[in-house]
Amino acid sequence: MRLKTFHRKKAVTVFFGCMLTLVALGARLTHLMLFESEYYAQKAQDLHERERDIKAARGEIIDAAGNVLATNRTVCTISVIHSQIREPEEVIRALAEALQMEEETVRKRVEKRSSIERIKTNVPKETGDQIRALNLAGVKVDEDFKRWYPYGSLASKVLGFTGGDNQGIIGLEVKYEDVLKGSDGKILTLTDARGVELPEAGESRMEPIAGNNLYISLDANIQKFAEQAASKVMEKKDADRVSIIIMRPQNGEILAMADVPEFDLNDPFALETDAASLTEQEKQDAWNQRWRNGCINDTYEPGSTFKVITMSAGLEEGVVSMEDTFSCPGYKIVEDRRIRCHKVTGHGAENFVQGAQNSCNPVFIEVGLRLGAERYYRYFRQFGLLEKTGIDLPGEAGTIMHKPEDIGQVELATVSFGQSFQISPIQLAATISSLINGGRRVTPHFGVEVRDREGALLSVLDYPAGKRILSKETSEKVRYILEQVVDGGSGKNAYLEGYRIGGKTATSETLPRSANQYISSFVGFAPADDPQVLGLCVIHNPKGVYYGGTIAAPVIREIFSNILPYLGIEKK
Amino acid sequence: MPVRKNTDYTLQIIVVILVVLGLVTLYSTSAYNGKVRFLDSAYYFKKQLFATALGLAAMVLVSRMDYHFFARFAVWGYVISLALSGAVLLVGDSYNGSKRWLSIGPLSFQPSEFAKPAVILLLAYVISRRRRKKGGMLLLVLVIAMVLPIVALVGTNNLSTAIIILGIAVILAFVSDPGYLQFIWIGLAGVGFIGIFLSMEQYRLERLAIWRNPEAYEKGFQTIQGLYAIGSGGLFGRGLGQSLQKLGFVPEAQNDMIFSIICEELGLTGALIFMLLFLLMLWRFMVIATHAPDLFGALICVGIMGHIAIQVILNIAVVTNTIPNTGITLPFISYGGTSVLFLLAEMGLALSVSRWQK
Repeated sequence: MRLKTFHRKKAVTVFFGCMLTLVALGARLTHLMLFESEYYAQKAQDLHERERDIKAARGEIIDAAGNVLATNRTVCTISVIHSQIREPEEVIRALAEALQMEEETVRKRVEKRSSIERIKTNVPKETGDQIRALNLAGVKVDEDFKRWYPYGSLASKVLGFTGGDNQGIIGLEVKYEDVLKGSDGKILTLTDARGVELPEAGESRMEPIAGNNLYISLDANIQKFAEQAASKVMEKKDADRVSIIIMRPQNGEILAMADVPEFDLNDPFALETDAASLTEQEKQDAWNQRWRNGCINDTYEPGSTFKVITMSAGLEEGVVSMEDTFSCPGYKIVEDRRIRCHKVTGHGAENFVQGAQNSCNPVFIEVGLRLGAERYYRYFRQFGLLEKTGIDLPGEAGTIMHKPEDIGQVELATVSFGQSFQISPIQLAATISSLINGGRRVTPHFGVEVRDREGALLSVLDYPAGKRILSKETSEKVRYILEQVVDGGSGKNAYLEGYRIGGKTATSETLPRSANQYISSFVGFAPADDPQVLGLCVIHNPKGVYYGGTIAAPVIREIFSNILPYLGIEKK
Repeated sequence: MPVRKNTDYTLQIIVVILVVLGLVTLYSTSAYNGKVRFLDSAYYFKKQLFATALGLAAMVLVSRMDYHFFARFAVWGYVISLALSGAVLLVGDSYNGSKRWLSIGPLSFQPSEFAKPAVILLLAYVISRRRRKKGGMLLLVLVIAMVLPIVALVGTNNLSTAIIILGIAVILAFVSDPGYLQFIWIGLAGVGFIGIFLSMEQYRLERLAIWRNPEAYEKGFQTIQGLYAIGSGGLFGRGLGQSLQKLGFVPEAQNDMIFSIICEELGLTGALIFMLLFLLMLWRFMVIATHAPDLFGALICVGIMGHIAIQVILNIAVVTNTIPNTGITLPFISYGGTSVLFLLAEMGLALSVSRWQK
């Protein structure tokens, strides 16, 4: 059949139809590539970019003597990139050997089809360098920082430690997270769809900003003395735990805070018992128990050391003077209750100072009753006992006290000599510091100042003297009476030749009373006329002799004998 | 008797340019996938180069022959394509879940690519042999009836190619018949048919929803990655070889979505140049068809024009998300040995027709 005109016309029609369609598509493409380009290009960019964090070096914690208590060590993370491995068997063998891992474990990770697989983290730098030197294709060695505590277990519960992402978990590491943390840097790289970086595409970096250094009042030497003394008495008396706080009563700076047993900060998760046999919950409980700082996280009945508070309130209010005389028959009847003195036969006739020396319960019950529930509670509040101390450590326990309307004569009597309520050791130390320092409330604390890595001062951590809670005159009287307690009274075991030392002992029976378990404690300060240092020692559940004056007072004496010369406090 | 002329040089040059550009683009696009899958960045390129060489030889050979020679094989060619398309259903190899390949030793062959030129030859032959000019609906019904078996066979696992074959058939029928009205009806019927076809199955409706908002669906991944590539191109592109989207983001970038990588690397400018080359090629087919010595030659060229036009238009429409996603390759550019071989053989046919111009 011949080609007709309409055939040609139609062929032309088809062509022009196709042309029009192509022109329309060209217009669509132009629209996409010129006007919607930004939107899609941005999306594509987001897709191709991978962010890798560069960890910022965490700031150091430095003690009063300039010792570095917490710093960083370079560690390595070993990973493999599946697609780049050329000799898998060699890689498995070499990594298992260098990292001392089971070949099976390494094999599983090397043979896993993933863009990047971690073999081991926190590998010492030397091992990392060694692996890098092997030059195995597909094996990556990344350097990283790990927190390192040069003193091991020293002040473990104060310093605290950090977790895998270098974030504080307990202690100062948590409280000063913002100071120490710094800000991580970033590496932006382009990757293909499997997440493999494209070396030829280059990278852009945002440098990390290192954390700042925290300077604290704690002194590693004093802390060592405190921990040694605590461990010694814990072992000798077969006690459950021993807490010691050494602080400056004038400004609240803490020089040492021991709570033995301490734990190794470089291996905080190690447990003595077989960890494999524990459930997750049991493990968590065991850790929490281990990391608990008895000085601030727990409360106890302070017992006779609390008589300092009753004494201060009574003298301040004028319901008792130092010359007032009392008579102790060995007990005191309050309402229908007969409250015993620790000396069953009674102390007989005594003045107030002698009553304090004897730690005579009836004397202080009498002072408490003279004050009355309302006034006593007012002083309790005024001295700051109802609030937390504000110490710069996390998890401070609050005071457990009767409600004011529930305080009858019996409750008042027991509170007067330190029973039937609970406070934390740090609260007792801070309150007594405030009562003997001239009468101003102090905030116990560690943080002193923040400096950058070059040492330039960034900020001074300010803990100004708080409000007046006791008159200067009464404070002076309290110091005098407490010096008498050590100078021939129940605290005589804290006496240190050449120094004027004030103090108060305590022996409290823990609940339930039937268990016959005791807490022995002693709080002491020196020099008695101008207190520069205050120490509190609390011994939980000692075996054998359990009197605070007998076992706790010598601990403070021993520490004082070491640290008073160290602190430059001269003998008189 | 028509005058014997030289072959159409313009078309020859366009074909060579497209083939060369295609190979360059294919190498750029497939290097990453080749390296990742076969540890050889030239894996796809080498296979394509082999098929292209074979195709160029076929093109030259066919262009030297008198196209009337192929009239004798029109019916047999069609029967063979039916047989091969049937065979692939029984003993074909699957790749990416589609059973489309026949393997002979190391070579694999896609019968549906062979079906396209076979249908063009068959229809050109049958229509041009009709003595009486009984046009109208009857011709149309005849044409559709003839291609229906191959459309059904191919369509069972390759819907896109079946649509292309059907499209070629309709274009050939359109050119062979003086009327217009019935084709408008056909067009309307086609639209209605597509509507019913889509609403019959839930997954087809889902495809529509993905088309309208590809970012909201997981299955819109390929489309959206293509758009990312296009959007990254801008006016002049990242430069040849610099595409990031080909690095595994656009799945199988060397196949259906290769045009999006062209956009990313060569920009709007490059992409429009490619489209212009295709348009020039279509124009040459039209010129050859209108100057053909007889209807057989003209219809061969019109069929080839339809074939190239449908694939180019649908491919670019899919890549730009103008229509819902369906797997259609870009002629001469996308990876596919059988495709490039038979496309070049078709070019040979068109060139052969061009030698007998009036």
